[in-house]
Amino acid sequence: MEPAWRADGDGGLGGGPAPELDVHATGTAAVTLAGLTAGGCALLVFVSEHCPTSALALRRLGPLCAAWAHAGLTAIAIFEDPLDVAIRTARRLGWTGQVAAQEPPYPASRAYRLATVPTAVLVGRDGLVAGAVAGWDRRAVAGLLGEAAARLGAGLPVPPEEGPLTKPGCSSKAAIDPDLVAAMSDGGGDDLEEMFERGWTDGLPVIPPTAERVAAMLDGRDGGESLGLVPPAMGEATLARVAACAVLAGCRPAYFPVVAAAARAVLDPAFNLHGQAVTTQPAGQLVVVNGPVREAIGLNSGMGALGPGFRANLTIGRAVRLLVSLTGGAMPGAMDRATLGQMGKLGFCVAEDEEGSPWEPLHVERGFAAGRSVVTVIGSDAPLSISDHRSRTPEDLAYVLAWAAASAWSTNWWPLAEPSVYVICPEHAQMFRAAGWTKQRLREFMFDAVRKPARLLLRGETTPAVHAADPGTLVPKWASPEAIVLLVAGGEAGRYSAVLGPCTGMGSRIVSREVESRGG
Amino acid sequence: MAADYVSPFDERVRAAEPLAPRPAGVAGRRVVLLDIRKNRGAEFLDRVEALLTAGGAATARVTKEIFSKPAALGLIDEIASGGGLVVEALAD
Repeated sequence: MEPAWRADGDGGLGGGPAPELDVHATGTAAVTLAGLTAGGCALLVFVSEHCPTSALALRRLGPLCAAWAHAGLTAIAIFEDPLDVAIRTARRLGWTGQVAAQEPPYPASRAYRLATVPTAVLVGRDGLVAGAVAGWDRRAVAGLLGEAAARLGAGLPVPPEEGPLTKPGCSSKAAIDPDLVAAMSDGGGDDLEEMFERGWTDGLPVIPPTAERVAAMLDGRDGGESLGLVPPAMGEATLARVAACAVLAGCRPAYFPVVAAAARAVLDPAFNLHGQAVTTQPAGQLVVVNGPVREAIGLNSGMGALGPGFRANLTIGRAVRLLVSLTGGAMPGAMDRATLGQMGKLGFCVAEDEEGSPWEPLHVERGFAAGRSVVTVIGSDAPLSISDHRSRTPEDLAYVLAWAAASAWSTNWWPLAEPSVYVICPEHAQMFRAAGWTKQRLREFMFDAVRKPARLLLRGETTPAVHAADPGTLVPKWASPEAIVLLVAGGEAGRYSAVLGPCTGMGSRIVSREVESRGG
Repeated sequence: MAADYVSPFDERVRAAEPLAPRPAGVAGRRVVLLDIRKNRGAEFLDRVEALLTAGGAATARVTKEIFSKPAALGLIDEIASGGGLVVEALAD
């Protein structure tokens, strides 16, 4: 059926009925023309994430949407992209109106016979097209807004007279021959770019999770097995989806038992992944690996243990985060509301240097046999490096390490109930070994060392406990010695340890899960 | 033929939950006020409760275990059965 007008020209088209919109949006209610024009008029802005002119239009028009809405003009950006891409793009460009998305074959763009994005279409309360502008043409857009203002009987702000005043648009995806689109997606296109189109990414390139790769990752396991629901969107973590995340992250199949164990751990209700996934805090999910699997799959616990360079460390942590953000729906800027975030939210997997440690490793502390492979997950902030090349006694070194965490979470927020994770480098560990300090002795010394009178902790954000305390009462940084977690990792040279502050207020507990062993 | 991918998304379509009808007024209605335990949420609810009471509503206060976890099913049932309206105090 031919529409009464075409939007592929230079604007000024109109008078015919506006086709209903076949799009999806974030809200529970369907997007309808009647709903959009209920206040008076609607401005439909068709855009595409890859089109620079679309970005220009969204940036110029976005800040005006609130004032338009107040006057009765509802603006909606209709993307030719997946919804999560649309939401992120709109947010990045400062678009404050509504957002909708359409998937191939782009039915809304087809219904409006778009040749170009951006195209702005003004629809009146009568459901008729009052005008359209293709590409970016500041004067024509101002004219369109003038028409809307006349209909509403109210003034509407127009975009500023900033260059470029005109800019040609890009081809609408709906205007490309469907066979050509299909051919492009059949290998003629770029499969890595397609992953971005689908939103199957954390912002970095990923490995496409083909059925063959996922099957290799599963290695005969039942892909339909469910590990539980991943908050906040409660997507079901079937083993196949966990494997898809592992493929996307770049894991080798040999890493999968560790990824699956970590997935089981983060989904334990005691971990409260729901709170961590949506919080404004910079909460990452630190994955600590102990046991023989470290060597078996090439996890690095030595030089640069917290940094780049080792596929197993980087991809295992990333797979867990992709599970949270894709299957769980916690995409930054959408349900992940982190104010700043931190790089550990891309993924953070640490292997403990058990062989270089003077102490029992973490998994043994947590009740597992030394020879078992175990994953432990901890909600944590980013690492803070602690240099100490000068201490000559274990007491001095423990004091320096302990006080480095004095500002963890917040300067005057004492005591912290949640764990601070220390990664002790081998040279520091050696000083404690030589002095015969047990892990518990170090933990208790650190706990005792960091105390301040309550009167010095009253400034700015502080705790109810500090407010309630006598001004002279010494308040510890941690609620108990057990809030100090000690690991050993790092290169043999250099006296740099690190501390990772906690994710607080979540009631999150540390959770461990044994790694599946097929060899017994 | 398109590439055969395994999606990391849970693609099941969830039916949209329609919003309950909005009330014309609060007079004579019972309103449940949910404190999720965020900092100063109770103060906010105190103010809202005073306004509701002045408007002729009866109020009831309930509290979540912790703000960062979904409400327990029992609490949701209590809210659903205990009042026609609910006000939830979110983040500070």
